[in-house]
Amino acid sequence: MTKTRLQSSQHQASFRDPSGYVTQDKGKIVRVINPIYFPQYNQLTTSGFYKKLFKAGLLIPHLEIENTEERITISPEFIQFITHPYEWSFEMYRHAALVTLKVHKAALTKGFILKDASAYNVTFHQGKAVFIDSLSFDFYKENSPWRAFKQFITHFLGPLLLAKYHGVSMLKMMQNHIDGIPLKTIASLLPFKTKFNSTIYTNIHLLAKLESKYSEDYKADSNLSKLSKKAQINIIDNLYDFIKSLKINEATEWGDYYNKTNYDVEAFKQKEELLKDWASELKAKTIIDVGGNDGTFGRILKDQANFILVSDIDANAVDFNYKKIQKNKEKTILPFVSDILQPAPAIGFNNTERSSLIERLIDLKPNLTLALALIHHITLSGNVPFLKSAEFFASFSEILILEFPTRDDSWVQSLLVRKREFINHFDFYNEAAFENEYSRYFEIIRKEQIFKSQRVLYLLKRKQN
Amino acid sequence: MYILYFDPGLGAMIAQAAIAAVAAVAIFSKTVMFKIKSIFGLNKSNEEDSYDSIDLDENEAENDKNKTSV
Repeated sequence: MTKTRLQSSQHQASFRDPSGYVTQDKGKIVRVINPIYFPQYNQLTTSGFYKKLFKAGLLIPHLEIENTEERITISPEFIQFITHPYEWSFEMYRHAALVTLKVHKAALTKGFILKDASAYNVTFHQGKAVFIDSLSFDFYKENSPWRAFKQFITHFLGPLLLAKYHGVSMLKMMQNHIDGIPLKTIASLLPFKTKFNSTIYTNIHLLAKLESKYSEDYKADSNLSKLSKKAQINIIDNLYDFIKSLKINEATEWGDYYNKTNYDVEAFKQKEELLKDWASELKAKTIIDVGGNDGTFGRILKDQANFILVSDIDANAVDFNYKKIQKNKEKTILPFVSDILQPAPAIGFNNTERSSLIERLIDLKPNLTLALALIHHITLSGNVPFLKSAEFFASFSEILILEFPTRDDSWVQSLLVRKREFINHFDFYNEAAFENEYSRYFEIIRKEQIFKSQRVLYLLKRKQN
Repeated sequence: MYILYFDPGLGAMIAQAAIAAVAAVAIFSKTVMFKIKSIFGLNKSNEEDSYDSIDLDENEAENDKNKTSV
């Protein structure tokens, strides 16, 4: 390959904005600022605006490490794991939208604007939504409309409304639309009654209409329209109020899971204790709980771990977990929505702009992976053979604690019954076959039957090569 | 000067004037309703949400108030 503008160390998602780019220096993320952005950067720094946002916890704090005529380099605080918008629960998404509006309003009052309002500019860090693109600001030009307004609608308001009216899985549409869901699509999917809501009508339906009317205009003369600062503030204040009170009407399927399952109190306690003992022996600091529901078992290890990722297929359980984190002000737990049978792929330009879940997990290098009462779902609902799931876990985890519900477990029974005439195809679902196939990738270190239950807890260590 | 590295959408720029006008009415009526309700003591207490207000200074001032009252 010939010389390209993108140096190999430059972060693959960092090319859209000419103001600067993100690069990795000895594993540390640094942001390089180009001279074109020096005036903005200097003003943002000297006016105390950056500091103010850091203090409010709205923008990821950074330190300036280099300041020359050719470039300024800043080093932002380390974020352990980046979650993408299509991996957020409704509440997480809503908070990300509110943070974006807050940052823009703060900017406006100090003579700046948020020049882009992409959902990828927000992520979750230490339990809270935080804005991560320090170069997303520009000077406010008197009487100019907000140029990132449409982006805010297609990245935030649109997906949130679709989730409200059609279920939280609509948020996954963002996986197909890296630049936000098209206005036309949002408008056509929203129910007719939304036209009678003044906020939804103007911000979505009217906007979509005007956008298609002017889509043939290639002159891009944005001077055509003027908007006072007060008017712009009205738009964002109103959007903030509206999004603040947005709710979804979905019954929690799993929220109360632990009260519904067949788990005996004693068995629950024993599982908890085994988990604690094993994890503390391993001195695990970075943990991922795959299929971790509302984070009940992840939380058991809270005291010993620095960072606990909890994924679940059920966005409501993730929501429940996120609300707990907000309530308890927990900083080390990060929940996200993920279907293990279909983890987030790599998307965007060159298929490298937003990395896949597996790539991010490999980068994270968790010391310990928990897969508690998950294997029967993978194997029996997903029809994934043991060898395949072993390969999956081995791709990112060195140590795996896996809970295996045996054939006599009531969940397994009900999953098997649903196979009807194909039930015999699943005769392989037993401990012996599991141990045999998992031992291709893992060494069985411990094995404990959880009493008063039909479940076995395994401690597995990845084999070299 | 703006660096237009993505298309802000001309329609979206024009639409903002109308959206702002409607938003102003919505905000005004909300404020009026709030005042009427507060006369009759009907305002619900704040729910637990860390995102109460869009304004930074207001939040900071509130936090300071809480700190001093503790």
